[in-house]
Amino acid sequence: MLEVAPFMLWVVIGFLAFSLLLYCLLAGADFGAGVLEIFMSGERREAQRGIIGKAMGPVWEANHIWLILIVVILFTGFPEVYSRVSVNLHIPLTAMLLGVIARGCSFTFRHYDAVKGRSQRMYSGFFIFSSVWTPFCLGVVMGALTLGNINPAAAGYAEGFIHPWFRPFPLALGLFTIALFAFLAAVYLIGESPEGELRLSFVRKARWASAATVLAGGVVFVSAHLDGLELIPQFLRSKTAMGCLLLATLSLPLLWLALRNAQIWRARMLAGMQVILILAGWMWLQFPVLVHMPQGDLTFFNAHAPERTLVNLAWALIVGGAFILPALFYLFRVFKRDEE
Amino acid sequence: MIPTFHIMEDLLAARAQMALSLGFHIVFAAIGMAMPFLMAISHYQWLRTGRQVYFDVSRAWSRGVAIFFATGAVSGTALSFELGLLWPKFMQHAGPIIGMPFSWEGTAFFVEAIALGLFLYGRKRLNRWVHWGIGVVVGISGVLSGIFVVCANAWMNNPSGFDWIGGQAANINPVAAMFNPGWKTESLHMILAAFEATGFAVAGVHALMLLFRPSSCHREAFRIALLVGACAALIQPLSGDRLAKGTAARQPLKLAAMESHFETSTFAPLIVGGLPDATAREVRHGIPVPGLLSFLAKGDIRAEVKGLNDFPRVLWPPLLPVHVAFQIMVGCGTALAGLALLSLFFIWRKPAWLGNRRFLILVVLATPLGFLALEAGWVVTEVGRQPWIIYSIMKTAEAVTPMPGLVYPFLLFSAVYLFLTVVVAWLMLRHIRAVARNYPSAMPEGGSHA
Ligand code: HDD
Ligand code: HEM
Ligand code: HEM
Repeated sequence: MLEVAPFMLWVVIGFLAFSLLLYCLLAGADFGAGVLEIFMSGERREAQRGIIGKAMGPVWEANHIWLILIVVILFTGFPEVYSRVSVNLHIPLTAMLLGVIARGCSFTFRHYDAVKGRSQRMYSGFFIFSSVWTPFCLGVVMGALTLGNINPAAAGYAEGFIHPWFRPFPLALGLFTIALFAFLAAVYLIGESPEGELRLSFVRKARWASAATVLAGGVVFVSAHLDGLELIPQFLRSKTAMGCLLLATLSLPLLWLALRNAQIWRARMLAGMQVILILAGWMWLQFPVLVHMPQGDLTFFNAHAPERTLVNLAWALIVGGAFILPALFYLFRVFKRDEE
Repeated sequence: MIPTFHIMEDLLAARAQMALSLGFHIVFAAIGMAMPFLMAISHYQWLRTGRQVYFDVSRAWSRGVAIFFATGAVSGTALSFELGLLWPKFMQHAGPIIGMPFSWEGTAFFVEAIALGLFLYGRKRLNRWVHWGIGVVVGISGVLSGIFVVCANAWMNNPSGFDWIGGQAANINPVAAMFNPGWKTESLHMILAAFEATGFAVAGVHALMLLFRPSSCHREAFRIALLVGACAALIQPLSGDRLAKGTAARQPLKLAAMESHFETSTFAPLIVGGLPDATAREVRHGIPVPGLLSFLAKGDIRAEVKGLNDFPRVLWPPLLPVHVAFQIMVGCGTALAGLALLSLFFIWRKPAWLGNRRFLILVVLATPLGFLALEAGWVVTEVGRQPWIIYSIMKTAEAVTPMPGLVYPFLLFSAVYLFLTVVVAWLMLRHIRAVARNYPSAMPEGGSHA
């Protein structure tokens, strides 16, 4: 099937991977900021929230659109995947949607409420909760795609709609996603805060979050084993995936060093690279499978749309990208240029 | 064993959830399309005249609009998932066919979200005219996304660009699907609806403020919103007429249901009001106007218009909601067109009369009419298409997800949207109250109110 529309199919695959990567990097940091708010208290809290509001305000909607792009690419280019996933992962996807709704609304309401009164506490509560909940559900969904329990022929309710995701591995991946996003946010926010005690507070959070990510990563491997998913042998078999994972882990000390020396951009680059490596490793391992299933996996090559659709989709993405990427670049430049 | 849930049938719950989500989203989408232009007009006036009041108007609007935008964005995201969560079989076939407008829509959203961030937060960082231009980009990309998504909806009404062979789509042509026979009329009607509904709703709110706390800020805001709403409202009946002619040609059964027209006839009457009775096959309490339906549907009072009786009973859409919703839409449209004539006359010829109390009260009363018509119009289109999800190709019942217990997500989303509605309304109230405090030009004149 690969010969049907080789190039355009690759363009579509490339955009899908790119969108997922950027969603995790950019929206991930936005979610992580909400996670970090759990650990804020005392008189510094308001200042820290102000920093988050200022950093996220202009960009969160744009960051969020990567998710919509992923969904559109899936249902246009790989319709069978979209409908399969929508049926069997109905519950975690609905749960994630509720989080998406609550996060976007509470963040905006908190900022734009004309009266800054007691209602702020309600918004913050929703914001924090949904910032934890949404990445958790996202991780669960991704884990379910890898796990291979999605079974179209399932006879019962539990087999069809619960077992595909309610297993140690997807749940652990959910926790890992929370930790990873919090880590990204903490490293990123260091550079957004003024020097002094505030900045140090984010440096501390970044350290804790990186440790939590490593820990959660360990839990993911253990839970994969519990679920009969031989993740470690799979990694060992694939040099590239293993390389990505090793590089991400081994560069952690460099990050800690950068944090200690207050090298903001070096820390950001390292953290971003680590997240990219982790995702790339996972994608490499998964490729070309989109959904693992007992009767036969859905892959990029057996579940894609007809050629004409792919060509159209690829052109839409290329032309759209030509508008979006420069605009995005401009957006970030306008709001991020005057950092000390 | 799959447990059965008897509170509400799954198909019904799915339809209710879809209707609720779309009905909720469309309010924010319409505002998202029209408000950037209202702000751009006022902003332009400020750049040209330098009068503070125009600056205040656009700034006060933009703070309120940010709330609507966020709610529109998240409810739209929910929709793009719900299409699959509720109608996986539909999306499996329709995705590759109508994915094209959706992928362009994605691009438009992206541009819009980027421009919005720049517009809302960039006032101090950007050159004034660049900032204004970015506001216009927000509006243009909003309108484009509206056009794209309505193309997808028009395709559900006028499926084209593929061959349906043995329950599978073949020979897919995404371009022909996107530019299906209905796309132009439907998207024009929708865009006008957005401007009309938003224009009159905003004008109504400012009219109310003018009645109680007159200020130059509200006066200018009122004028701009009224002008935009009125222009759209004048064209809307013409666009609706074009749309109805397309419906008569391509979905005659839907037209018959909208009009409660049972017997195929020449000189077909238009029935004003009335309650259709599907069992007795008649309309009660309606006022027939002979020949008008033939004229509206075909442009000739002698033309033959197909009636419901020519179609099998099982293919009829629910008559009562479709007919009543159509009456509501046309009724509101006619009323607003009348008000629009009056408003435009005042704006061009008698600006002083704009402040007349009775006129202001009239505009206040018209506040909800545009949105009422908008929701009613969608009920006509969507319920009128039943039992089909893709007209004449796939039934809604075939498309629904096998996931049981759909009543629970439906109840959950109902609760969420109800809560959000209350919070957004409350936020708007607080916002409007605060305007007088935050903007000098909004200070009540005469100082009679604190
Ligand atoms: C402000 C809102 C508004 C107003 C005043 C009107 N409409 Fe409308 N109408 C809508 C808003 C709308 C809409 C946005 O809700 C719909 C649903 C789908 C669409 O494209 O537009 C619609 C659909 C719709 C349809 C259904 C088309 C189909 O499904 O095949 C018809 C025939 C009309 N309209 C006709 C009219 C006429 C004759 C009007 C006379 C005044 C009118 N509309 C006023
Ligand atoms: C935002 C404005 C819209 C509103 C208010 C609206 C309203 C509705 C309503 C009331 C229903 C339920 C009909 C019934 O089951 O009796 C429905 C169903 C549906 N609508 Fe729309 N609709 C809108 C736009 C769209 C668009 C743009 C699409 C395009 C893809 C769409 C796709 C669907 C689908 C797939 C269903 C479910 C299947 C069906 O009932 O036919 N809708 N909508
Ligand atoms: C099946 C139906 C629909 C889907 C899947 C859908 C999807 C979306 C999504 C994902 C967004 C968020 C974009 C952002 O974050 O800025 C959005 C917003 C928007 N939608 Fe919809 N939509 C649907 C129906 C409609 C309809 C019928 C219209 C109008 C004609 C419309 C017009 C808009 C507009 C103008 C916006 C941007 C305004 C705003 O953000 O408030 N949508 N929609």
